[in-house]
Amino acid sequence: MGNILLLLIGLLFLVGVLVPFIYPVLKKRTGVVLSVLPLVIFIVLLLELLSIGSRESIILDSTWGFLSGMEFSYRLDGLSIIFGLLISGIGFLILLFSSYYMAKYDRQPHFYTYLTLFMGAMTGLVFADNLFVLFVFWELTSVASFFLIGFDHHLEKSRQASLQALLITAFGGLCLLFAIILTGNITGTYRISELINYSIHLGNHPHYYLILSLVLLAAITKSAQFPFHFWLPGAMQAPTPISAYLHSATMVNAGVFLLLRLYPVIGGTVAWKYLLILTGGITMFLGAFLSMGQRDLKRILAFTTISALGTMVLLIGIDTPNSIKAAIVFFIVHGLYKGGLFMIAGIIDKSTGSRDIYELNGLFRGIPVTAIAALLAVISMAGLPPMLGFVGKELVYEAQIQAPGISWIVLPLGVGANILMVAVSITVFYELFVFNKNKPATKFKYHERQFPVTFLAGAVLLAILGLGLGMSPRFLENILSNALYYIQGHSMEIKLRLWHGFNQVLMLSIFTIFCGVAIFLFRKPVNRVISTFINWLDRYHLPTLFTSVINYYIYLASKNTRRIQHGYHRFYLLTFFLVTIALISLQQFRITEVTLPESGFSPVKWHVALLLFIASLSVIFAVFAKTRLSAILAMGVIGYGIGMLYLFYGAVDLAITQFLVETIIMIVFVMVIYYLPRFAILSSKTSRIRDGIISIAVGAFVTLIVLKAQLIKPDSRVSDFFVENSYTLAHGKNIINTILIDFRSLDTLGEMVVITMAAAGVFSLFRFQIQRLKKKEEKKE
Amino acid sequence: MRNLILEKIAIIYLRAILIVSVWLLLRGHNEPGGGFIAGIIASTGFILYAIVYGSTAVEKTLRYNTRNWIGSGLLIILIAVVLPLIWGKPAMTSIWMTLPDSISSYVHIGTPLLFDIGVYVAVIGIILSIIITIMDVLKWNS
Repeated sequence: MGNILLLLIGLLFLVGVLVPFIYPVLKKRTGVVLSVLPLVIFIVLLLELLSIGSRESIILDSTWGFLSGMEFSYRLDGLSIIFGLLISGIGFLILLFSSYYMAKYDRQPHFYTYLTLFMGAMTGLVFADNLFVLFVFWELTSVASFFLIGFDHHLEKSRQASLQALLITAFGGLCLLFAIILTGNITGTYRISELINYSIHLGNHPHYYLILSLVLLAAITKSAQFPFHFWLPGAMQAPTPISAYLHSATMVNAGVFLLLRLYPVIGGTVAWKYLLILTGGITMFLGAFLSMGQRDLKRILAFTTISALGTMVLLIGIDTPNSIKAAIVFFIVHGLYKGGLFMIAGIIDKSTGSRDIYELNGLFRGIPVTAIAALLAVISMAGLPPMLGFVGKELVYEAQIQAPGISWIVLPLGVGANILMVAVSITVFYELFVFNKNKPATKFKYHERQFPVTFLAGAVLLAILGLGLGMSPRFLENILSNALYYIQGHSMEIKLRLWHGFNQVLMLSIFTIFCGVAIFLFRKPVNRVISTFINWLDRYHLPTLFTSVINYYIYLASKNTRRIQHGYHRFYLLTFFLVTIALISLQQFRITEVTLPESGFSPVKWHVALLLFIASLSVIFAVFAKTRLSAILAMGVIGYGIGMLYLFYGAVDLAITQFLVETIIMIVFVMVIYYLPRFAILSSKTSRIRDGIISIAVGAFVTLIVLKAQLIKPDSRVSDFFVENSYTLAHGKNIINTILIDFRSLDTLGEMVVITMAAAGVFSLFRFQIQRLKKKEEKKE
Repeated sequence: MRNLILEKIAIIYLRAILIVSVWLLLRGHNEPGGGFIAGIIASTGFILYAIVYGSTAVEKTLRYNTRNWIGSGLLIILIAVVLPLIWGKPAMTSIWMTLPDSISSYVHIGTPLLFDIGVYVAVIGIILSIIITIMDVLKWNS
């Protein structure tokens, strides 16, 4: 069963890459056809959910990986199955939804490619057992999100929002990478299932707090927690299916998933608890509070999403079995109603052309089925019976009441956030669907019956699912206890009931609803207060602050680039030579152990002396040459002389290369020489003297270091290795060549890429000139 | 003005030098030679051809433009790099074919040879791309 799942995840990636080829065949049906894949995954996972025991996890090991220690290993347990079910199930509905929603957009193949690849990455992320694999998928989701937020890339707002989201989430991703490397260095394994055994060791390690803060940074950036929450409302620039899928139901929950996944490894310490409670608590309340002051339906939903994510993080921070249970249930609840509500926002947008809740009025007439689905979703969001939202909220309250030692601050925050949620839920539903005489009636572009079934299916099915699970939450008990067993390490019996007696929690719920309705009734004065608060907050507007920091960074970078890349060739050379002198002289002083060879120096051969004499003569000639051509020829003589020298001392390969390169350089020089300006001495005398001193110094120092190199006994292990193994391992007698293409082929690969870049540089420098020349000729003709 | 003798020499030189370069490429593993040297030597043949016949003519004899040559060279290198992954070995491990002694005493066939061929092709492409671009700018395409 598990192997089928791996195959399906791989298939998602394959299909994602192939979408541009599939799309021309299927055209409008692409979305519907693609949706089969997540549906199959959903069914496979559902079967797995029904068959898995409460203390059972399946680890799938593939021996294949990029490097050792980075094997693609997967793990099926309660947590990953719950996340996987939501991802694949909502993914199925979203693909159906987008096949109609995106019908009029350009670049649909791009959209489906990104969406399918995201789906594959997200599924891979929740099932990964190896931390590196998890990281790769984590980054892939960020990249997919970047492309999807910026899907309308002709709008500046979209581009800005997508860049902002990428910078923040990719920063978190880098933090995660560091954390993973640190963890791996300490424990020697990257497998989460093995890391659990090291949790005590890790907790006592001096690097624990570093790892913890890096992981938390990764989680809170991805899950849009305070103070990084501001990228999520910006991400609403994406098409609505994307907001529904990535930015409410799945991707933003990856941070929560990471916290739950790593809980047994690094979680449960005091720092972990208080940091999570702090950020989660602030985010929970702030999100709910800010959602009151918005007009755009999608922005309202974005802020409630932030609040919900904050709740989950807070619950993980409270760190009791009940709170972890509540976090997972709340994740399911939130995915179901928020995915549905976003799709409803999409339907309203399509049928009326607006998303402003204060402009829209009496939508029940035009889209009755949607209105009923919206009612169910909103009830779930407000946490009223009989929806699953009620079960979730009751669990949250219970966990907050039981929070050890801190319930006095956590509980009021939680209740306050929930009161605001109730008020927002009622406001949204009332403004949208109930007819109001004071507002102009909304004109419909499309009525509901003009929409295909696939467009409405998502919202309706999710609403029904929320209702069904609310009526019989027992269905989730088994999988929850499995998830908890692997998070907390001990099993507990879980009872989920819609009605669990008349107790403290229920009293709180009734109080919450009462207050929420009160706020709804007095929403005008309340909104005024919130607006003034938001206006005050806007002075410390985080997105603007973020943008200005980024801009300042770019400004600094360009300033530095101008300072280093000034564009004067002579100064580049000057820098290069001065640095060389500095490095060489440093080395001169560092190396003091000099041993004279026992047999003395070998006598100078007469042909070498002759060669050196000719080369020296041509150096002098080159320096004082009156024309450019003679200078270049003289330089050529030096080059060939060096080649000859190689030949005399047995380095045939080097000699051949030297000759050939020298020849090619001469050809190029001769080709361009007539097009250069006339040879003239333009530099002043002082600068010529300066250049002379520098060049003599370089020559002298290089000579010194070469002489010294003769007298030092180098470590010969490396060259001995090559001599010994050249024939046995690399099947070649030419040691130079075996080093180039076998032992150190990575270097050669790098060199090839570098000279390719050089060729590309020459080509692109001259291409415009060639085009200009061609245009001129055409004009003449 | 056409120079008949030079034109004939350029063609003969090109053919001869190509054979020499392939020979150098193959013997490079045991004696002086190898992909880089062979690539430069082969490109000198093409350069002479280009000087005599012009840059468009040499692009015609190359069949594909020089950028394609660079790309295919790098692609061959990449294939040689990732091929060992199929056998479950780390990338860049050399894999050799076992051949009868009569052949293997002369040349060994394996991924390093493929790598060398890639270097050969890429070097030809790079040098000619630079030379041809310069010739085009200077309008040497007679």
